[in-house]
Amino acid sequence: MAKKFTTIEEMEQDTKILKVKAGEVGIDTWEDRAAAQKNHCQFGENGICCRNCSMGPCRITPKSPKGICGATAHTIAGRNYLQFAAGGCAAHSDHGREICYALAETRPDGIYKVKDEAKCIAVAKEFGVETEGRDIYEIAHELAITGLNDYGKPFGFQTFINRATDERRAKWEELGISPRAVDREVTESMHMCHMGVQAEPEAFVRQAMRVGLADGWGGSMMGTEFSDIIFGTPTPIETEANLGVLNKDMVNIVVHGHDPSVSEAVAVIAETPEMIAKAKSVGAKGINIVGLCCTSNEVTMRHGIPMAGNFLQQENAILTGAVELIVVDVQCIFPAIGPLSKCFHTKFISTSPKAKIPDSDFILVEPHNAEEAAITIVTTAIENFANRDESKVFIPEHKEKAMVGYSCEAIISELDGVTNSFVDEPGTYKPLIEVIKAGVLRGAVGIVGCNNPKVRADYSHIEIIKELIKNDIIVVTTGCSAQAAAKAGLMDYEAKELCGDGLKRVCDLVGIPPVLHMGSCVDISRILNLVHTVAKEWGIDVTQLPVVGCAPEWMSQKAVSIANYVVASGLDTYLGIEPQVKGSDEMMHLITDGSRDLVGAGYIIEMDPAKLVTAMIDGIEAKRTALNI
Amino acid sequence: MATLIERVFSGADEMYAKAEQALAEAAAKYDDSTPVSYPDTAYYLECLYAMTGRKNQTLGELKESMEWIKSQMTREKRTKDVFTSGIATACAAEVIEAVKYIGGVNPYEGTLYNGHMSDADVRELGVPLVTGDIPGFVLFIGAAPSDEKAAELIKSYQSKSIYVFLIGEIIEQATRAGVKMGHAVRIFPVGPDVHMATHVVSVAVRTALIFGGHEPGDYEAVKKYTFERVNAAVNAFEPVNDLTVACGAGAIAYGFPVVTNDDNDMWRVPKSLIVQPDIDKFVETSIEARGIKIRVTNVDIPVAYANAFEGEIIRKADMFAEANGTTNDCLELVRALDATQVVDHKIEVIGPEIDVRQPKNQINLCMVVDVCGKKMQSDFEPVFERKFHAWINCIEGVMHTGQRDLIRIRISNAAYEAGFRAEHFGEVLYAKIKSEFESVVDKCQVTIYTDPEKCKELRVEANKIYDARDARLVSLTDESVDEFYSCVMCQAFSPSHVCIVTPERLGLCGAVSWLDAKATYELDNNGPCKIVTKGGLQDERLGRWDDVDEVVHALSQGALERVTMYSIMEDPMTSCGCFECICGIEPYSNGVAIVNREHAGMTPLGMTFSEMASMTGGGVQTPGFMGHGKHFIASKKFMSAEGGIARIVWLPKALKDTVAEKLNKTAMDLYGIENFVDMIGDETITEDPEQLLAFLTEKGHPVFGLEPLM
Repeated sequence: MAKKFTTIEEMEQDTKILKVKAGEVGIDTWEDRAAAQKNHCQFGENGICCRNCSMGPCRITPKSPKGICGATAHTIAGRNYLQFAAGGCAAHSDHGREICYALAETRPDGIYKVKDEAKCIAVAKEFGVETEGRDIYEIAHELAITGLNDYGKPFGFQTFINRATDERRAKWEELGISPRAVDREVTESMHMCHMGVQAEPEAFVRQAMRVGLADGWGGSMMGTEFSDIIFGTPTPIETEANLGVLNKDMVNIVVHGHDPSVSEAVAVIAETPEMIAKAKSVGAKGINIVGLCCTSNEVTMRHGIPMAGNFLQQENAILTGAVELIVVDVQCIFPAIGPLSKCFHTKFISTSPKAKIPDSDFILVEPHNAEEAAITIVTTAIENFANRDESKVFIPEHKEKAMVGYSCEAIISELDGVTNSFVDEPGTYKPLIEVIKAGVLRGAVGIVGCNNPKVRADYSHIEIIKELIKNDIIVVTTGCSAQAAAKAGLMDYEAKELCGDGLKRVCDLVGIPPVLHMGSCVDISRILNLVHTVAKEWGIDVTQLPVVGCAPEWMSQKAVSIANYVVASGLDTYLGIEPQVKGSDEMMHLITDGSRDLVGAGYIIEMDPAKLVTAMIDGIEAKRTALNI
Repeated sequence: MATLIERVFSGADEMYAKAEQALAEAAAKYDDSTPVSYPDTAYYLECLYAMTGRKNQTLGELKESMEWIKSQMTREKRTKDVFTSGIATACAAEVIEAVKYIGGVNPYEGTLYNGHMSDADVRELGVPLVTGDIPGFVLFIGAAPSDEKAAELIKSYQSKSIYVFLIGEIIEQATRAGVKMGHAVRIFPVGPDVHMATHVVSVAVRTALIFGGHEPGDYEAVKKYTFERVNAAVNAFEPVNDLTVACGAGAIAYGFPVVTNDDNDMWRVPKSLIVQPDIDKFVETSIEARGIKIRVTNVDIPVAYANAFEGEIIRKADMFAEANGTTNDCLELVRALDATQVVDHKIEVIGPEIDVRQPKNQINLCMVVDVCGKKMQSDFEPVFERKFHAWINCIEGVMHTGQRDLIRIRISNAAYEAGFRAEHFGEVLYAKIKSEFESVVDKCQVTIYTDPEKCKELRVEANKIYDARDARLVSLTDESVDEFYSCVMCQAFSPSHVCIVTPERLGLCGAVSWLDAKATYELDNNGPCKIVTKGGLQDERLGRWDDVDEVVHALSQGALERVTMYSIMEDPMTSCGCFECICGIEPYSNGVAIVNREHAGMTPLGMTFSEMASMTGGGVQTPGFMGHGKHFIASKKFMSAEGGIARIVWLPKALKDTVAEKLNKTAMDLYGIENFVDMIGDETITEDPEQLLAFLTEKGHPVFGLEPLM
């Protein structure tokens, strides 16, 4: 019998019920706040409000076309745009830096270990760390220090850019946008945006690309690779997604945020027999860890821990009344969780000094005390089980099966399964390249990014993905987009039934779902590795590949940083939300056609998801035509 | 260079144009009402029937089908369009072939080619496909680089028991290289032109209808069935033109990879379209590409050993020696002995080796296999022994028929010249017993007797054992045992079919008796046969038990709720499609006619075996029709709910002769009727229902004393 997939309407119905519950306990949710903020400031929206010095704020209108210093709409929009991107790079890269510190604290008997020794050695070699005849932990620790030094490297360029194609590196060199070091690019960006420094719009766009590249081929990539070394490189694993993963009979702990260090420790501790026994002693059947946002993506990729939902579902999880404890690290955490948690028995624990949130209990979690802290957190959750008010509990039943864990290594290993040992060499993307060349698959799209109340939550992600797979375009995804896909059942093997015959056949033969979960938002670095390796093996430039990026519901600064490195890395990027530069036609040109002139790729911006996906398919077909395939 | 998709579209157009031309030529000679059909099939023009459900019985209908074919040749640059165009190409090719058969002629009579394969041959493949004895199919298209290469490649597949279809110049090459061809040796020369691949597609889609039980016209289900269950591959020699590429697209749509050595203008698709420049690696590449599992039994003999040789016929003129139980003392016997009496892998020939030509080539040959093992039971002896037939037949150049002391074995001159001797029977039997029954046989020794005196003595001794076994078999009734067995060996091909095997009702394939099922269960508790307890008797007459229903429901994955053991009207047992016989209601007499697979002629039901067979199968219950084994015919439980064997009013002559003795005995036991088979019609008496009725009336057939069936 054909599988029934959860529809967006069913998800919205669940949200509606939970929204009624929010009303009952007297708390607002994002829907209320978005409605209250509905009339967004148009100066802000269009990127033409400058508040970088106290002469202002200056706002550009036809009557006042320049700021007090003389900055035009183009300069102001450029500044704002670059600052936005720099904020994103800083966030991702700081996450990556924390992972370096965790790597430095790995111990054979510690909660953080070197789980993927092969990757540790391979990455160490890339960083020039001596590996011959050395203890793996010695290597790991030196790699951590070398990695940390990459952030402030005084001369040369970031180590990971050596993974990019020669053509791309030459292009970056030519344009002067090769990323030197994360700290330097972020600092320089902030400097450029200071009053009275950079004024030329194209320079802002170039630096936005550079700071983006510093993120993608630096902070994010370290976040990914070093996490793999410590916690293991993901391999395909089955899990479930959507609020139905909360279990009414168990102690429910929600992990939320982005940095896997805290959640990994919590996951490990929650599995110990002592903790399980403790949970049973309070009348629970066990401990159920579920995730939100990218922390969820990290732990689901490695442990199959279920995904409760994405960005705009964070309040819904608490509104079920079935969450004993929510523990957060950094990024994308609504401060609204604080007051909301007070309406229920839910304990709200913040763990990073960078993200202290009112109405949360703060427990500092650092690599050296992670185990101890995790014990406290899990114990607190168990002890709180007795306080659950059954009358307030409503867990929507919707959930979908999902296969997750498709790291580059895992994808290659899956592709090896369709090679023929009498014809092919294993360990390459060649099978993927061959099906694309032959037209069985038309191309590939990386769909990433957030939710944004400006568009119907998850709708664009799900509808765009469905249309792509129907057209034999394989989808790789990370972040909130990945969770949207998972909630809609698109990561279930059965989703092959929604595909065109070509992609369906590929799914059948390779044994994959049509939408591959590649991880959290820092793991877009995996997509970079994938795409650049494919281009090398194919022998063409990245810009020629029938592959594009898409962020249909993006909202964060990180998303702008990502969009910049994806474009600079050679892929057209389709945005479903307009970047806030509309007040400058020059900037609008520079981030679309202008950047295509510079780096061979740019943004295509379209708010209507149906038109956006059509544009993507047309873009992919145009690239195929150019390749004569 | 043209894209792969463009090549497929261009080839599909070419095939369509050829079909149009063939139709136009036919239309010049025949009118629209002219019947069009393939011989010996109940599935009309199979490709079109399977994919559309249209029966296409006249030239006019065929013309109408061209519109459907055209509608499938859509032109979006998508795999879906490639697949539908590929399948439409096979259907257009079918049109070209079908018109050749107009007027009931066999267009390949007197040629090297076979063209269309009959339903009976397709059904005959059912059991070996299920057991893995035929692990897959391969289709060669084109010309090998040389005659020798052609023979080498074909034989390489044959030695792995893979069924080989040939199209194109390779047929002439194989002929020149002296390769024996035909369905019996699993090498089927289809014809000279690439469009004849439609005859191979027709075999594949018929498996979906026959064994899969899919509705004709359920396009997606047929395609899914072949993709998931039919292990076939195509080997196309260079040069591969667009027409072949389009046919290849059809093959790939059905799930069959294409391996070619043509690198020109060729696109690679993993597991689907593979360029293998080295044709010496075609076989291995294809087997891996389709994931065909080859069961290897290494038998150390000087000739080839493979299932493909099972149907090989050795003519008198070609034989070096014959062991014939009707004229000499020849037999085969398995004995379960104590561990102390068996020396593992001891193979001994007592008497002269077969190395001198005897008068009329006649020899004595007794093959005695002694086994021991902690889990060995004497009930397994006949189970092993009955396998000798298949095992010995798999030897290249050796033919085996019969059983016990009525065997006939022929050894060809070629086998003799290759060095085959009596001791090699020992090697074969040893290797097969040890590999197939390893979990119950700890040690095995084989003694081959050729000495006439010894053989004579042995025959007396063996007959005592056979008699004792027969006595045991007679005592084995459905009532006397505590357990039946379920058998789902066929589920690889027929996913919702379940056999319930009882002492008085063997599996419909004829290959699994209650003892076989028991042995299979003992060999592997998690294997295809499981114990079915007899709890919850609901109806003794119908043979309905709660436990049986529960097992059938579970093992059919919910497709079936209940079955009866003894009725063909109420919840009859289902069929997979590889049944030996089918019985169906003959309404004039209120009885049933039974027809076996080998009988190609008509029955009083107005249907051939193939047509009757197409009424059931695929795990579907069809009251009034039932597939069954030959040996079930003489069972006291044969449709006993409806009156038993007294319902049998018609049997093909050959089948009647086979079962006569036992059937007469059963009739005597049940009704006190003597020579019951003489009351049963056959094709030499009549195929007409009214004449049959007159015959039965004249004979006083007991069916007239029974209640109406419907």
